[in-house]
Amino acid sequence: MKVLLITQTRNKKGQASRTQQPLVVDALRIGRGTDCKLYLPDPRVALHHAQIRHGTDGSNYIEPDTGTIIVDGNINRAGKLQPDQRILIGPFELIVLPAQPDYDLVLSVELIDPLREGVDEVRSKVRAGLQSTWLSKRIFSWIAGILILLAFLAWPVINATGPEKRPSPETLLKADITPDASWDVGPLASAHANFGRNCGTCHQQPFIQVKNEACEDCHKTIGWHFPLKTADAKAIHAAVFPDTRCASCHRDHKGPNGLVRTDATLCTDCHRNLKAKHPKTAIPDISDFGKDHPEFMLSMLQPGRPGEGGAGAIVRVPQKDKALARENSGLKFPHDIHLSKKGVRGPNGTAKMDCINCHVKDEAGIRFKPVTMKDHCQSCHSLEFEPKVSTRQVPHGDVDDVLATLKEFYAQAALADTPIDVVVEAGIRRPGERLSETKRQAALTWATDKADKIAHDLFADRVCFICHQITPVVATTTATDSKPASWTIAPISVTRHWLPKSRFPHSQHSTFECGKCHQVTGSKTSADIAIPDLKNCRDCHGGNEPVRDKARGTCETCHGFHTGSHKAGVPAIIPGSNQPRGLLSPAAQVKQVTTDAPIGGATK
Amino acid sequence: MRHRTILEYKHYRYLKFATLVVIASIVAYAVYTSPVGRYGGTPMGYTLGTVGALLILWLMCFGIRKRRYRGSSGNIQSWLSGHVYLGTALIVVATLHTGFQVGWNVHTLAYVLMLLVIFSGFYGLYAYLRVPQLMTENLGEDTLDSIILKIADIDREARRLAVGLPDNINQAIQDSLQNTRIGGGVLAQISGRARKCPTARAVTTIQASVRQFKGEDARSNKDLYALMLRKQALVTRARIDVRYKAILDFWLFLHVPLSLALLAALTAHIIAVFFYW
Repeated sequence: MKVLLITQTRNKKGQASRTQQPLVVDALRIGRGTDCKLYLPDPRVALHHAQIRHGTDGSNYIEPDTGTIIVDGNINRAGKLQPDQRILIGPFELIVLPAQPDYDLVLSVELIDPLREGVDEVRSKVRAGLQSTWLSKRIFSWIAGILILLAFLAWPVINATGPEKRPSPETLLKADITPDASWDVGPLASAHANFGRNCGTCHQQPFIQVKNEACEDCHKTIGWHFPLKTADAKAIHAAVFPDTRCASCHRDHKGPNGLVRTDATLCTDCHRNLKAKHPKTAIPDISDFGKDHPEFMLSMLQPGRPGEGGAGAIVRVPQKDKALARENSGLKFPHDIHLSKKGVRGPNGTAKMDCINCHVKDEAGIRFKPVTMKDHCQSCHSLEFEPKVSTRQVPHGDVDDVLATLKEFYAQAALADTPIDVVVEAGIRRPGERLSETKRQAALTWATDKADKIAHDLFADRVCFICHQITPVVATTTATDSKPASWTIAPISVTRHWLPKSRFPHSQHSTFECGKCHQVTGSKTSADIAIPDLKNCRDCHGGNEPVRDKARGTCETCHGFHTGSHKAGVPAIIPGSNQPRGLLSPAAQVKQVTTDAPIGGATK
Repeated sequence: MRHRTILEYKHYRYLKFATLVVIASIVAYAVYTSPVGRYGGTPMGYTLGTVGALLILWLMCFGIRKRRYRGSSGNIQSWLSGHVYLGTALIVVATLHTGFQVGWNVHTLAYVLMLLVIFSGFYGLYAYLRVPQLMTENLGEDTLDSIILKIADIDREARRLAVGLPDNINQAIQDSLQNTRIGGGVLAQISGRARKCPTARAVTTIQASVRQFKGEDARSNKDLYALMLRKQALVTRARIDVRYKAILDFWLFLHVPLSLALLAALTAHIIAVFFYW
């Protein structure tokens, strides 16, 4: 259809001016939308307000689209357009003008109701858009970013790089919060917690990984996997553990127990095929305790006094070798008599004994306190020598002390009034009577003879020989005299730790009877070694993988990694002993038994 | 043709890529074992952390790209689609990086801020997909501006009609004309409601006095009632429109500052980790 649009506008004085625009369209769309040919840019007009079509009958028809039209005062009536009809579309007035040649429709358009006062007033009451409020992305961002950088970056860094300002460890421990607390990734191992607020203890240099020296500052004697005393050992270590740091295995900040690795691969990565790492090794391959662990080797103390051909040294003996695996402790101790179900005869009648009467767990519950003569033997095995008149006992330990005690006792008896049958040459001494030189000599002779006799009685016939191997010593000056001048006691060499390369916390196994592992009730001699063998352990322990009805038995269950320290594999120091290696040398033992020292069998 | 959302952009190109990133991270995490456990301090932890940090930086570049209207680095739809999917994938990457270990520290702060940013983004995505439709349903062919014009028309007419009516009604109309507010503070915009709206009060006042009038006054009163009802409907629609706009905007006032907070915490996290290595 061909349309002639006549747009009428008026100036301020009301004078009209017209512009004409010819259009050729299928249908005349009217609206606010820019796709409308009759474009009415006013908010009160709909996007597609209405349209006018040219009918086949030659007439024009108007129909509302999404807006409201008022045709000659009637709302929304679609219909045929007649000349001079007035159509209101929002604030616009359309007038159908008389037809002209070449045009199907002539239409005048005028804005008759322009936007007027009052709109600004309404608009002033409208506040839309959050950017018009106090909210501000920019300010919020700056504040949040700067606060976080100050609190969690600047403060800790300034604290860490200005050591002169760093508070003392005591202050740090008491502080509620420390500058770098926010950097702490997790709770420290319990042993490190006391200095944990002073991060620089371990993290000594910024941007440098924690060095081994930081660990070794405290852990001076921990040692590596094996002793690094020889150049050879150092070379092997360098080859097997290249670039290994303490922290390769020990990562802290993982909770109270998180510092130590307990996974089997720690060991078996190398030990399943150790020759690949160290071709000359004599250590057998092992991948799993449950499958291929070798038989135990017992670490035995060589008997004898130090300096007598290897005595005091530790030798490793296969447990299965029944000929070698016999202890020569220098003591006589038949377990079967002491643990007899009928009881054992003692000074107060028959007593039934149990393991714990002698073997008392140490404070840690891991091993056992040393067995001592005083605490565990002497209540039955009394060292009284004149029980009829005195409860006095000879001192345990030094032979000379025993002999001196006896001499002093009987000299006293000879010179003072005693109910012992003191027989001196000229009969009974009267009270207050001063002894003559002869009588004194006679009393001394009597006392010495009596002491010798009782000593022989104690050592060889009645007391000492029950537990010890006693040898009489004949004095060279009195070679013709058959009486011994003294006695020697065989040195005591009790092995204190049979399996020092392993750990065995007895307290964790206390649900079992002792006899489950240590079969001693039939043992007639102290040469028997009652250490349980591999099979005994495997009765309860499986290997790396869980096994039904068995506890797991990973390498770490019994062994530790750090076996290279100067203490590794050596029994604990005996209380009161000055032995640096913790081994009870026989010479020292003879001295120590006079006090409270152990006589052996203390540990398993 | 059906409207395609940014989620479907280029046949889910970024969904596929993000899925790949997620699966690769999970497989790597599962396969990798370390004697010191799975956490951010292992080589795998460092790798996941680097991927996560790069993702965060790239995601934040969207904020810059968005402001450059003539940017040459891909169209904004493509960026937004990637922003949504890779932002979602970041949850998995970063969580695996933590090794599921959290604490009261700057490291977990960064992680929590990251989650807040991502979930505020999810809300924004929901708003962008849902609210425009609601806005159209509310406004129809109107705009906020056209509603304002219509209200202005009504106000003019109402003022004229009210002149001849008793003081209480005239007062109510004046109150409505002068004190009807649309939008306003944060709460007013987001709630889309106004307490004690003067227009609503005017409607009640006029309705209550219907029976007082006869003749011409009754007609004026009736017309005025109809006008104020229309105004009330318009005002309600305008307020709802303001509310929708606020909903579309509000999450960004969290999303953007939290992103910048995350950037700061991430910086502190990375420096802290290597400062005390």
